[in-house]
Amino acid sequence: MKINIKKSTFYLGLLATGLIISTTSCDESWLEPKPLSFYAPENTFNSSSGLWSALVACERNMRHEYTGDGSPILTEHIFTEVAVEGTTDKSGPAQDMNLLITPDANLNSTNYNRIGWYWYEGFKGIKYANTVISRIDDPTDYESEAERNHILGTAYFHRALRYYRLTNQFGDVPLILEEILEPRLDFYSTTREVILRKMKEDLEWAEPWVPEVMDRGQVPKGAVQHLLTKVNLALGEFDDAIASSSRLIDGGTHALMTDRFGSTGNDPERNLIWDLHRPENKSASVNTEAILMVMDRVDTEGNSGGMSSMRQAVPFWITNINTPNGNRGTIDQPGIEIDLVSKYGRGIGRLRGTWYHQSMIWDDENDLRHAPGNWMDMTDMVYNNPALKGSDEYYGEPLQFRNEEGTVLVVDTIRSWFSWPHYKLFIPDPQNIRPSGGHSDWYIFRLAETYLLRAEAYVWKRDLANAANDLNAVRTRAGAAPYGPEKMNIGTILDERARELYYEEPRKTELTRMAFIFANTGIEAYNGKTYSMDNFSENNFLFDRIMSVTDFYNKGVSTRHGDTYTYSPYHVLWPIPAPAINSNTKGIINQNKGYSGYENNVPPLTTIEENISE
Amino acid sequence: MKNLLQTLHFRVSEKKILILCFCLMYISVGFTAEISDGRIVEDITVSGVVTDEDGEGIPGVTILIEGQGTGTVTNIDGSYKISVPEDAQLTFSYVGFVSQTVAIGNQSEINITLVMDTASLDEVVVIGYGTARKRDLTGAVSSVTATKLENENPNSIQDVLRGNIAGLNVGLSTSAKGGGSLEVRGRTSLNAGSSPLIVLDGAIYYGQLADINPNDIESIDVLKDASSAAVFGAKAANGVVLVNTKKGKLGKAQIKINSNWGLATMAKNEPIYGPQGFLSWREDVMESINAGGFEPYRFSNPNTLPDNIPLDTWLNYDGSDGDPETVWMQRLNMQPLEIANYKARESVNWYNMMFQNGLRQDHTVSLSGRNEDFQYYWSMGYLDNEGLIVGDKFTTIRSRFNIEGNVNDWLTVGMNTQFADRDESQIPVNWGDMVNLSPWGEPFLEDGVSLRFRPNEEVSGGRHPYYTPSFTDRLQKETTINATIFAAIELPFGIKFRTNFTPRYEFYERYNHEMAAHQDFENMGGRASRRQRKVYFWQVDNILSWNKNFNNKHNFDVTLLANAEKFQSWDNSMTNVGFEPHDRLGYHNIGAGINPIISSNDEYHTADALMGRVIYTLSDKYITTFSVRRDGYSAFGQSNPRATFTSAAFAWIFTDEDFVNIPWLDFGKLRASWGVNGNRDIGRYAALSDLQTGKYFYQRPSGELYFVSQLYVNTMQNSNLRWEKTTSTNIGLDFSLFNSILDGSIEVYDMSTTDLLVERSLPDILGFNFVYDNLGEVRNQGLEVSLNSEVLKTSNLTWRANLNFQMNRNKIISLYGDLDENGEELDDIGNRWFIDHPIDAIWDYKTNGIWQTPEADQASDYGVRPGDFKIEDVNEDGLYSNADRQFLGFREPRSRWSLRNEFKVWKNFDVSFMMYAYLGHMGTFNQKKNRQGFLDRSNSYILPYWTEENPNNEWARLYSSEGGAGGFNVYQSRSFVRLENISIAYTVPRTLVESAKIENLRFYMNVRNVGFYATDFNFWDPESAGPTPRIFTLGIDLTL
Repeated sequence: MKINIKKSTFYLGLLATGLIISTTSCDESWLEPKPLSFYAPENTFNSSSGLWSALVACERNMRHEYTGDGSPILTEHIFTEVAVEGTTDKSGPAQDMNLLITPDANLNSTNYNRIGWYWYEGFKGIKYANTVISRIDDPTDYESEAERNHILGTAYFHRALRYYRLTNQFGDVPLILEEILEPRLDFYSTTREVILRKMKEDLEWAEPWVPEVMDRGQVPKGAVQHLLTKVNLALGEFDDAIASSSRLIDGGTHALMTDRFGSTGNDPERNLIWDLHRPENKSASVNTEAILMVMDRVDTEGNSGGMSSMRQAVPFWITNINTPNGNRGTIDQPGIEIDLVSKYGRGIGRLRGTWYHQSMIWDDENDLRHAPGNWMDMTDMVYNNPALKGSDEYYGEPLQFRNEEGTVLVVDTIRSWFSWPHYKLFIPDPQNIRPSGGHSDWYIFRLAETYLLRAEAYVWKRDLANAANDLNAVRTRAGAAPYGPEKMNIGTILDERARELYYEEPRKTELTRMAFIFANTGIEAYNGKTYSMDNFSENNFLFDRIMSVTDFYNKGVSTRHGDTYTYSPYHVLWPIPAPAINSNTKGIINQNKGYSGYENNVPPLTTIEENISE
Repeated sequence: MKNLLQTLHFRVSEKKILILCFCLMYISVGFTAEISDGRIVEDITVSGVVTDEDGEGIPGVTILIEGQGTGTVTNIDGSYKISVPEDAQLTFSYVGFVSQTVAIGNQSEINITLVMDTASLDEVVVIGYGTARKRDLTGAVSSVTATKLENENPNSIQDVLRGNIAGLNVGLSTSAKGGGSLEVRGRTSLNAGSSPLIVLDGAIYYGQLADINPNDIESIDVLKDASSAAVFGAKAANGVVLVNTKKGKLGKAQIKINSNWGLATMAKNEPIYGPQGFLSWREDVMESINAGGFEPYRFSNPNTLPDNIPLDTWLNYDGSDGDPETVWMQRLNMQPLEIANYKARESVNWYNMMFQNGLRQDHTVSLSGRNEDFQYYWSMGYLDNEGLIVGDKFTTIRSRFNIEGNVNDWLTVGMNTQFADRDESQIPVNWGDMVNLSPWGEPFLEDGVSLRFRPNEEVSGGRHPYYTPSFTDRLQKETTINATIFAAIELPFGIKFRTNFTPRYEFYERYNHEMAAHQDFENMGGRASRRQRKVYFWQVDNILSWNKNFNNKHNFDVTLLANAEKFQSWDNSMTNVGFEPHDRLGYHNIGAGINPIISSNDEYHTADALMGRVIYTLSDKYITTFSVRRDGYSAFGQSNPRATFTSAAFAWIFTDEDFVNIPWLDFGKLRASWGVNGNRDIGRYAALSDLQTGKYFYQRPSGELYFVSQLYVNTMQNSNLRWEKTTSTNIGLDFSLFNSILDGSIEVYDMSTTDLLVERSLPDILGFNFVYDNLGEVRNQGLEVSLNSEVLKTSNLTWRANLNFQMNRNKIISLYGDLDENGEELDDIGNRWFIDHPIDAIWDYKTNGIWQTPEADQASDYGVRPGDFKIEDVNEDGLYSNADRQFLGFREPRSRWSLRNEFKVWKNFDVSFMMYAYLGHMGTFNQKKNRQGFLDRSNSYILPYWTEENPNNEWARLYSSEGGAGGFNVYQSRSFVRLENISIAYTVPRTLVESAKIENLRFYMNVRNVGFYATDFNFWDPESAGPTPRIFTLGIDLTL
């Protein structure tokens, strides 16, 4: 076969092309890496817009605490007196704390607990903030010095927020104050007080630079003041706490909501407390009580998986409840004649309120936070199983705990039978036919808490009249009668916080903070005891408080699976997750007393300077 | 020679070399053109018959005129006729026979008897940028001739390789698509990729193996040691698999049709409880869940209560007074639908709905031929497989076009092009849900046709396995074109130049619509997405080679290479939800939704290489190979873009020495090789720190929402990242004994990988879990034995056997160099990497049987109760921490064996079977914990469990507690032996088909995965741990 010369010329041409291509290939620029679809730090964080975006990461990160199945906020609750882990049909959930809360255990799982999440995400927030802090002088396009300082102040706020949480969850932790660009494995723990003092300094610097009004989702001055108040309390500096909270309360931007408002403001069936916790009202500009929010909306890019509040904290009411005739009483079918699931959600009772939370704290029948419609008792629900219709006279009748003979009609009284704050947990969930709690903005800081923080500061100062004034501002707004100053103590503050801030406050953080204050100051507690840092992990206020009011850890209660609820004084501080200690091979991160690994501790760092690498 | 190469490559600039080549080429074009004319040829005609040792004619024997590259082939009875120059020599060659070269002299009839080539030493092996006789190899190269496996109907390249090459581990895939992972000689890397480099017809191939039709493959060679792989330098640390496709054979045009049909059936069932068994199992579940205590017989069938428990008492446990059967079912947590179905005695067999006998067909037609100046091979293939799981299927159309033409006597041009179109739109049913579904559930809604989303009407109790597939509309296809276009030029002084240009296109598309009729997407108003990706990749190889023999004693074979490559991809996707007015247009009208989200991800890399290799052979007995390669890759582009890899090897055919005279030893060769290879298989951008982005939103005081983007550093950068290097030494012995009755090879190797590309654990307080870094050393040592034997040979029966054995020992020598106070290097506990232990070591809590009833007190010390697993508390502190973890075994087999037997019976029947064994490794088997999912809402596999009445020491009670060792694992030996393949083929005697002008007609059948024997692990399959098909195939092979 002959191939004509034209064809061969073509191939020769091809050959030559090949050669030329490979010839050009030897330039050094040929091998330059080219990231096409992602931003690199060096060409993005050198503009003010880049640093603003870095702050968005800090803000968005705050939302994860409240969203999704087994959200971290549940762990903040089950380590206190308001609730326990209610998943009773298996082992693993944090019930037997003595057995399950160890440094090597699974500390970050919806089925176990989320302690590890707080550790890991806390330090991630610090990383995001440190990126801004270390690069604050890279951009050359600031509108003004004020913009630079506003950005820096906001970053200080986020770092301080994380350290406030970490030091009250874990005690002494490593202090990282700059962006880390190279692998580092030589961390040491710094004392809680040194960390908090640095955070106070940063927040005081930030306060004048952060504007009073910011768009919802961003950090306004009030958030800085609110956090500063908490840090001041944690440091035992009560006068400063009173001062910083007063600047916020009296600043003129924020005020408690005392009148009906928002989308439900004209609904006569509802009330102010209901209005305050409607998803669409939380971020409304008319809502002056909101200080700092995380943002979450249905059908919006960048939203979360939903709050899941109804799934987590509503009882597992859909089964295990018989009518007095022995028939299955309840069912989670949507669209049936008595459709309960669409109204209340398909609870799984993972967060099970204690008797303290359900009953002991409610001493005023006018309190809107416990009023019918806002608050749900099991007996407010009715037998709704359609199969009962016509065959069982209890169809449509209220649920009963016992029959006339006194036999309990509920199979699992821990998981399937308790009361809950419907006004707070109810979040419409149009994307689920069995709602689990949909998308909603959530309060991170609300002025009601600022009042309770100032009330607490006054209690520590023994200024009970002022304490009562602040606490009553919150109480009376909810329709309850005011307390006299003689009732004021840390216990009353905690009761009011439980009434006002359930599923909102990081309660374990706050209780441990108080336990630290008792131990640091030696102030006598309402129970007549005084505490000391010398034996903090053996004898502390948090443990005594929990044992005095809950009815689980102190009574040897077992789940139906046979696991016993236990709790120990050393749980006042969570265990440092073992992987963090293990991977830090060139230094030592201290473990808390009571957990294995404590024996390897070295004295923590006591100055800021030791944390800054050269 | 090594020095010379270095001079060439590193003193003279790379550019100059190429320009030099370029000039040389043009000079030679003129030069060779002149001498090509004016040759005087006087031809004579020679004819004859080529037969095998039995006197049977062999059709298709290639007869080449030496030095001319032209020739003919024998026809159907083995006869031939050729016109040749008087002084020529003829070479007769045929696959599987020893080639013979005959000087014609004045003969006009030459009859040849070809001898079966059992040692296959003259087989030509592809060695990367060239070929070599197997006899001349200095490295560890294993080959498999795909055409010899035709009776087994390999469905993929992995099927061709599985069990046929010592030192190559092939994974098992149970899907309709098939395939499986490849790994040569154990894991050398901790985090970088560990699959070998694929080279297709001489050019590096990054496409999917599924795009190569196994019917198009002539042979596959696997380069296992560093020396032979070193010519691929930076990419070769995990070995190289060279795939060579078919070419036209001398003679008339040939049409070959291979068609087969098959059936994928369930090899081993793993039953779940049927309707009655379910009830008694559920009774035990409820008793175990309520281990905290319950009234006697509370969960038992009321019809079976003992006399001392009156029905009223039983009912009164929870205040019931209704129908006892209903009460009982409710106590078993059965839903109203289940109870109704129970009363109607209507049950569902979910198991049978999950699996099918999958029909398979595979057809390939090829047209091929070759004459003096032109050869071609063109095939079209269609494969259509259904899987074992209902809904699993895979279709592909593949075509290959290989042509090569001699333009004149110095220029050859050609092209190998492969086209493939894969359809992977399958949506298998979610078979795993069968254990979540009650046999008393209800598959349909009231209308009896529509699927019920949750057949148990229990939110956490499992979905209908057919539900999601039936409400999903998906098109997922990929079309690829991979071509190598080449030109080869013969230059003066025996120098040859070849250039390959290898472009590759991939077009991927995935359109998906999750319908609003699906409950999950109902409130979203449906969800649809479209994703398209285009990949354009090219590489150029310029190869200069020179082969010269001096005095019939010194033979030099020199190869020089310049290579460059570039990868680019463009990836777009869009998603939308909330389609108005309805979502029936699906992904076809994506703009109709209300919340569009678009994104893109484009990637880019470049690489280049220069390579030189010299093979020097002295007296055909001493062979040495040297090579050096310098590679560049943009992923390391910041500080260390380039690295150099060298190798050397030596082989000695000692049986050719005069002083070696062992009567039973026909052939013996000793080989030793050493070399360094690289691994660049990390992400294209692993060295960079990237900013992760995502949307968030703020609300203005006016109530208006607006979007903002978050940015955070996702990975820690390491601009000093460099190549991972594996240095390996290989010693090999090839031998042939007793007149080629037994031949084989033994390889011993020692590989040390340094500068490992690792995801180094960091303290998580950095906000990063790891950073990519080059640290540490991993060592692999191993032994491979490959034996072939012609056990029996009579006129009616031949029996050949092949045995492969391999073992690999792996050890982490060092990690990051951090020392403890005693000067011992620290382990990386986070990654579970330990100095002096293998990568696949299992370090975990040790289970020690089950707590028994008399041990209740001890069990409660650990927060558990009888029936729960006993876990060794090494330091006896009552808690579980790292101090209690121990080395329990290994995840990878300690040894692998394979045995193939082939029989030829009465000349027309071929029978073969192949088996393989993996021994000595362990895997998790957490089914033994009996706590998978929500047992009070699901069904279960029929597996043993502990009860007080019926205790055992291996299986925990239902819903067992893990105590303080949350998430612990139960390990079990995974050793097994599998009869992989039995095949039978019948070749119709030539005399019967000759009249129809049929050259060859063959029928075959085979069974894959005939069965296995496992010592301990008998849950589904010990290798896949899931449903695994047994495949029956019937086929016909016709050559015209």
